[in-house]
Amino acid sequence: MDQPGRPITVLIAAMGGEGGGVLTAWLVEAATAAGLVVQSTSIPGVAQRTGATTYYVEIVPEPVAAGAPQPVLALYPTPGQVDLMVASELLEAGRAIRNGYVTPDRTTLVAATHRIYSIAEKSAMGDGRLDDGRIREAAGTMARQAVMADFAAAARESGSALNAVLLGAMAGSGRLPIPEDAFAGAIRAAGKAVDANLAGFARGAAVARGEWAGQQAEEMPAGPHPVPIFEDNLTALLEAVRDVAREALPRLVAYQDRAYAKLYLDRVESLRAVDAATAAETARHLALWMCYEDVIRVAYLKIHPDRAARIRREVRAKDHEPVHVSEFLKPGLEEVAAILPPALARPLLGWAEKNGRLDRWRFGMEVRTDRVSGFLKLWLLARLKPLRRKSHRYALEQSAIEVWLDAVRQGAAVDRRLAEEIVACARLLKGYGETHRRGHDNFGRIQDALIAPAIAGIIPPAEAADRIAGARNAALADPSADALARELEKAPPPALAAQ
Amino acid sequence: MERSFKKEVASLRLGEGDVFHGEGILAVTKALLQSGVSYVGGYQGSPISHLLDVLVDAQDILDELGIHLETCTTEAAAAAMLGASINYPLRGAATWKSVVGTNVASDALSNLSSAGVKGGAMIVIGEDYAEGASIIQERSHAFAMKSQMWLLDPRPDLAHIVDTVEKGFQLSEASNTPVMLELRIRACHLHGRFVCKDNRQPLFSRNHVLERPDFDYSRICLPPATYAQEKHKIEHRLPAALKFIAEQGLNEVFDGEREDVGIIVQGGLYNTAVRALAELGFADFYGRSQIPIYVMNVAYPILPDEVSAFCAGKKAVLVVEEGNPDYIEQAVNVALRRADLQTAVIGKAVLPMAGEYTGAVMLDGIARFLDTTGTDRAAPSRSAETLSGKAKAAAILGTELPTRPPSFCTGCPERPVFSAIKILEKEMGPSHIAADIGCHTFSTLPPFNLGNTVLGYGLGLASAAGVAPAMGKRVISVMGDGGFWHNGLTSGVAGNLFNKDDSILLVMNNGYASATGWQFLPSSRAHRRGPATGMSIERAVRGLGAPWLRKVRTYNVATMVKTLRAAMTTPVKGLKVIVADGECQLARQRRIRPQIAAKVKAGERVVRQRFGVDEDVCTGDHSCIRLSGCPSLTVKPTTDPLRRDPVAHVNNDCVGCGLCGEVSHAAALCPSFFRADIVQNPTWLDKRLHAVRKAVIGKLLGQVSA
Repeated sequence: MDQPGRPITVLIAAMGGEGGGVLTAWLVEAATAAGLVVQSTSIPGVAQRTGATTYYVEIVPEPVAAGAPQPVLALYPTPGQVDLMVASELLEAGRAIRNGYVTPDRTTLVAATHRIYSIAEKSAMGDGRLDDGRIREAAGTMARQAVMADFAAAARESGSALNAVLLGAMAGSGRLPIPEDAFAGAIRAAGKAVDANLAGFARGAAVARGEWAGQQAEEMPAGPHPVPIFEDNLTALLEAVRDVAREALPRLVAYQDRAYAKLYLDRVESLRAVDAATAAETARHLALWMCYEDVIRVAYLKIHPDRAARIRREVRAKDHEPVHVSEFLKPGLEEVAAILPPALARPLLGWAEKNGRLDRWRFGMEVRTDRVSGFLKLWLLARLKPLRRKSHRYALEQSAIEVWLDAVRQGAAVDRRLAEEIVACARLLKGYGETHRRGHDNFGRIQDALIAPAIAGIIPPAEAADRIAGARNAALADPSADALARELEKAPPPALAAQ
Repeated sequence: MERSFKKEVASLRLGEGDVFHGEGILAVTKALLQSGVSYVGGYQGSPISHLLDVLVDAQDILDELGIHLETCTTEAAAAAMLGASINYPLRGAATWKSVVGTNVASDALSNLSSAGVKGGAMIVIGEDYAEGASIIQERSHAFAMKSQMWLLDPRPDLAHIVDTVEKGFQLSEASNTPVMLELRIRACHLHGRFVCKDNRQPLFSRNHVLERPDFDYSRICLPPATYAQEKHKIEHRLPAALKFIAEQGLNEVFDGEREDVGIIVQGGLYNTAVRALAELGFADFYGRSQIPIYVMNVAYPILPDEVSAFCAGKKAVLVVEEGNPDYIEQAVNVALRRADLQTAVIGKAVLPMAGEYTGAVMLDGIARFLDTTGTDRAAPSRSAETLSGKAKAAAILGTELPTRPPSFCTGCPERPVFSAIKILEKEMGPSHIAADIGCHTFSTLPPFNLGNTVLGYGLGLASAAGVAPAMGKRVISVMGDGGFWHNGLTSGVAGNLFNKDDSILLVMNNGYASATGWQFLPSSRAHRRGPATGMSIERAVRGLGAPWLRKVRTYNVATMVKTLRAAMTTPVKGLKVIVADGECQLARQRRIRPQIAAKVKAGERVVRQRFGVDEDVCTGDHSCIRLSGCPSLTVKPTTDPLRRDPVAHVNNDCVGCGLCGEVSHAAALCPSFFRADIVQNPTWLDKRLHAVRKAVIGKLLGQVSA
């Protein structure tokens, strides 16, 4: 198949601002230094630092005399004709595979396996992330040789940039007719951050040759292990449920007190007739729901003893550098009313709603929690914990929890899938302010339109399960709740249908 | 411009026999200097921005040669500049992004080509077509045809491109006609080499001025001269051009042993065609093809005699012509008909009428041609086999992968404006938004999805004129400072005030033509040659008499929301202008980063700001991302064993622009965000204060955890 002059083809997929242009320039320089004819071109995208960019390089692996006919090199990669495919991120590798640029007969794939999430993935209301497994599987099947590693981590570890590490991996893959010292020479010739780039290059080459397994995952210090409580009561629970409860109970104590944790345990024990998986999932949602986010909770988390160190680590502050931390808090009437007793909260909220003040009256503040005065504010707020049990929101949440638990238990008695779907609806309850209200409203709509009628036997269990799942997904797909409304309108309101 | 092109400038100095290594567009720049131009002008835009950027940095070379460089405010201005070549033997060049730039320039181009030129006039157009393009998809070819300008489309080989530039000037002078040099995106970014010649002093220039002006009524575009000019184009200029092109051999024939078929290809697509032939076994990688190829390095006009000579004796030829309409295919058909040749012309029958001729498209099309003509019945199955990876991969990967559309950069000052519009939308419902061209056009993409129409550069406000009166709510028009100075001031602001329309105009004042690479504008804070000119958007708008004007710092989202609300509700009739002020963050970072690094190194106290998210406070709803879309605001897996949805996370690219805090305040989102101010090189007082605070807080914590 190999005719004279057939070039080695290299396609590089990167994102704006990742140094794909510099990487390509190094490659061109290295090939030139090795005495080879090389041509590169690119679709650099826009000046903005986002969006996908591609670079395409052809290198003629044989000497071409200056006066002799010159090879005609292509400006386009052709699917099925790429020798070395380089991707600076896993999704971009997936895209290259999907576009046919990685084929088993000839393509070596060098890909960084970290993820930079696309806007669609990260703006989803729940979890919009792509399943990485499919890309890895496709890479394994489609590439002749796959050199895949967390090159971004390798770059961090070696104190260099990703593009230098990728150049090393390209060299180390053995697919290019260029000696390694020519690459190093190109980095030196470019003259920028030479030492760091050479270190990155060496690391990338070592990873590609399998000489460097890379360090273990980045230090992700797990929180202090919760102190076990109510261990004796846990033995009666199914194992899956027990694991969740073990995690949840200390959190509930910190959230309120031991009695509140006991309430949780009682509720979990009431799920005895529910199957293990559903019960565990219910226990998980129940713990989150019972630790609903109010200003007291937020204040507690903001002044937690472990937090300052975590922030210092995250923002990469050096030991001697003071870090000032400003919080952006904007509680509204709802948040204030939430911790007042119902007798005060109800008229206040009623008045605010009538006069359109619910969203208007918010108290924006920037609190410096590294300062004593700012810290003290939140510290005092966190100490309002005892008021919570008597508060308006506490009463609302507890009764809603009971309704939901009751539906789960009754649903489980009828149809396992119905129970699963009812449980999963608790996922809608999250966020703060308007976000929380939206989730709460959506939950309420599904509760009224589908869950209650299903429990009452008006909608058959299997149909109800499908429709609850559909409604929940619709609620998670669209922040404006239009999708949910459309979903609920698909069938006539069950109450009417039954009449 | 906050970038430096020192290295590129050095390559413009290369002399006779030196080898140039670099990009296609830079090679063209060098070729202009080798051709002895007196003046160069243009308007920036991908993929030709570099031509101007590099010349801006090459002032000393231009001064030595006496060349005048004009960084024009529109393509029309750049085209009008070519008028210098009408009366005088001055060679000159103008450059812009096409087709849009050619649209803007076309008034001047029509007049230029009607009058004809004495000195060589060349328009270097970046044909922004297909992958990587940022504009509407049309061919520039039609402009050459309708105005009778010659369109050069050279084979993408740097030496050949450079040669074509020099020949192009000669052609222009031999036929008294302006020429267009068309370079596609990949050709502009093509990295290759060529052997240089010395730069040439222009005959007349700043350094050798003309003695006196030339008056010649026959060169004025007014009747009856225009009637004569129209005839002159056809009776003299076209024949002169055809003669020059034929004699100089601008088009090329690459012979092959097959005599019954041939390929006619636009110069720019030659390499792609040869590669497809090589893969199908009909050529080698040195371009030796069994099938003869006629390369049209001049895409317009076609040379009927050359075409007939090439087609004579062949049963079929393939015309490889990208885009629509199929002007060349039609012209080839006419030429053969007139020559009474029966060669079948196959073009769009096997290649797509619309869209880019990529490697895959070309492979498929040529294979089908080989099959249709009976040259090789098995070719389609071979090409299908080569291209089969895509289907196999799709089977494994399943659904479509998430796309990665461009968006606002980290810390972009324009993003907060659209966050503000989103927030206001919740309160007042959606408004019709007349978008414009610039970075801000990305508002039409996720997560904002704001902007109902885009009608052209600087035309945001003008495009609201018809729709605004028909809307129940005030229409918001967007314009960048680039669009404002390009033509928005007159077509938009003056037009609106003149017609006493009621509208809202948002001007994004980021200080540069950012989308094209941070070129300076009339209102920039600096100028390529010394201090800023002092032109200001505010003063211009005030000078025209706009009744309502506010200037708001973009990062201040709450104020922006308030100002927009006021503009929507004020009883003041007429134009309401909001100047959204915030310097392009990329340009700013490019400028201040070295300064900050130097300060830190010198031991000075520097506060570094960035934002973060408290993972345990974040509930994973991602409202913040939907109101921002900042690349540094992303998600990460939660470490909470009880949670499933990923949590928001600010990565280390954060430049601390402040939007996260502003949005959580303005939209009352959630209390998860915090700002960290890291004090580098802390003073004694910083350290002391920090220690005391830590001690007191530690004491309080001792109690709370008890």
